[in-house]
Amino acid sequence: MLHCLNSSTSENCEMSVLERQRSRLKQQQQQLSQNHPPIPYFNGNDHLAYSGFHVDQALSDLVLNGGAMKPDPGVEHHDFRRFMNSGSATTDFQMSSALPRTVSYTAAASVNSAPGKESCKKRKADRSPKIAAEEKKMKGCAEEESKITEQNSNSKSTTTTISTSANKNSKGASANGKKASDAPKADYIHVRARRGQATDSHSLAERVRREKISERMKYLQDLVPGCNKVTGKAGMLDEIINYVQSLQRQVEFLSMKLAAINPRLDFDIESYILKEMFPACPPAMEPDHSHLQFNTSVEEVSGSGLEMVVDPMDATLRRTISAPITAQQSFLNSSSLNQIQQVTWEDELRNLYSMEYQQGRSTFISQQITGFLEANHVKLEM
Amino acid sequence: MKARMQMSTSMVRQEFFKKWIKGMQIHSAFNKEMTIMERKRAIKLSADVAIASTRSTATQWSRAVVAGVSASAAGAARAAAEEILGRKLPERKALAATCSKKIVRRSRQRRSKGVVRSSAAIAEKLVRNRTRVLKGLVPGGNKLDEISLIKETLDYIASLQVQVDVMRHLAAAAESLDHQQISF
Repeated sequence: MLHCLNSSTSENCEMSVLERQRSRLKQQQQQLSQNHPPIPYFNGNDHLAYSGFHVDQALSDLVLNGGAMKPDPGVEHHDFRRFMNSGSATTDFQMSSALPRTVSYTAAASVNSAPGKESCKKRKADRSPKIAAEEKKMKGCAEEESKITEQNSNSKSTTTTISTSANKNSKGASANGKKASDAPKADYIHVRARRGQATDSHSLAERVRREKISERMKYLQDLVPGCNKVTGKAGMLDEIINYVQSLQRQVEFLSMKLAAINPRLDFDIESYILKEMFPACPPAMEPDHSHLQFNTSVEEVSGSGLEMVVDPMDATLRRTISAPITAQQSFLNSSSLNQIQQVTWEDELRNLYSMEYQQGRSTFISQQITGFLEANHVKLEM
Repeated sequence: MKARMQMSTSMVRQEFFKKWIKGMQIHSAFNKEMTIMERKRAIKLSADVAIASTRSTATQWSRAVVAGVSASAAGAARAAAEEILGRKLPERKALAATCSKKIVRRSRQRRSKGVVRSSAAIAEKLVRNRTRVLKGLVPGGNKLDEISLIKETLDYIASLQVQVDVMRHLAAAAESLDHQQISF
């Protein structure tokens, strides 16, 4: 904790404008944190007066120690005076009073990694007194110089707002005690750095909700083609809407097409499966060139072929019935369906269909050979 | 999530196909001579109920599809849907709640008119409009909040993909069979 504070403050100082002042501030901060370990800043109920009191005490200690321990206090005061008196004093001051907030975020975020909301609150609770201390320290210097008034009021107002928010948060976090784990703070700090102040429970809930939505949007992006290029939620929703509409229209169109193709709804599953699974097959499907060789087995099968027509969907039944088919299937596979076997099936459905296809085909062949006309297969015989 | 979906896709396909064919058979058993529009409606209805029953009661949209069928369909369609789902459909119910909801929404819209908006508010409004459109597209989406709407949309899109895929296969098969009949 102490180390974290020190590193972040040293980061601040490195980012500040004046080179000389950097080392001074660093030393002062180290002394400050040595004299007053950071526990008192947040272990109590942390109301404003309490922390402010500690900050003031720390400030006085700082000033005293700084005066006593610096080898060249005059130079330091000169630096401060020059810093305050210079033409760009106002902007510089504002920068240096604004810097601690942003820079300490990034520094802490680089140190820490895991997210967690409770301890994020704690983080804020123990961090903002530090900012308050820094700003008050600056303010104290300014009052010492008694040059700048309106910038002081600005920094004063920011200090109070931060302290009040810290007060509010620390009420929730005070039950957790003083052990401030460094790890789970980065997420909160990251979001806050981007968004400004959003620490109440409503904002947190809203943020969680938004995160959930964006996470699911990512899944949708994977699912919807062409959605990867689009950025922004509105554009993504556009893509999703278009895709859903196109899918629904396709369903409409396909059902219309099927209705137009079929004069009856009684789908001839065998033939459809046959076609569906072997779209490249029809040219190679002249049944004469190899199938006449196994008349006997086909005739054997024809009986079960009729039952298939009766109950076309029940594959298991067919499998039990068609024990003689298996021999024929192996024959089919070996002799004439080599090119079919070369086709790589996408999934088990196709495997199932290929089974059905072979059986359906066996009925087809058997009917061709026996000359038996069945009502369902009139189309095939045409 | 995606891997799980892809793993179960082939199962869903088989299930959908069987149920769909079953529904169409029931339709054709009820009515032998149908016009093309009747046939189309029967195919569509069977497909919808079949794809909804593959996700039975797990998701809001499938429940909404089944509820819509049970509210509107009668006769053959109802019998087919019951056969596909393997259970009795509940009796028709009056739709009273949606009406009041619409009224509330309209009054809220009227209040927000005439205000000059920032770009962030405009973007917000765009997102809100699209969310409303999406709610209209996904069955049963009107009752959902945004998080579950997106979840349902995920599921619905995956199911529609399966549906379209199987239907396209069947249509291609039927078409090529037609061609073959001509060529014979």
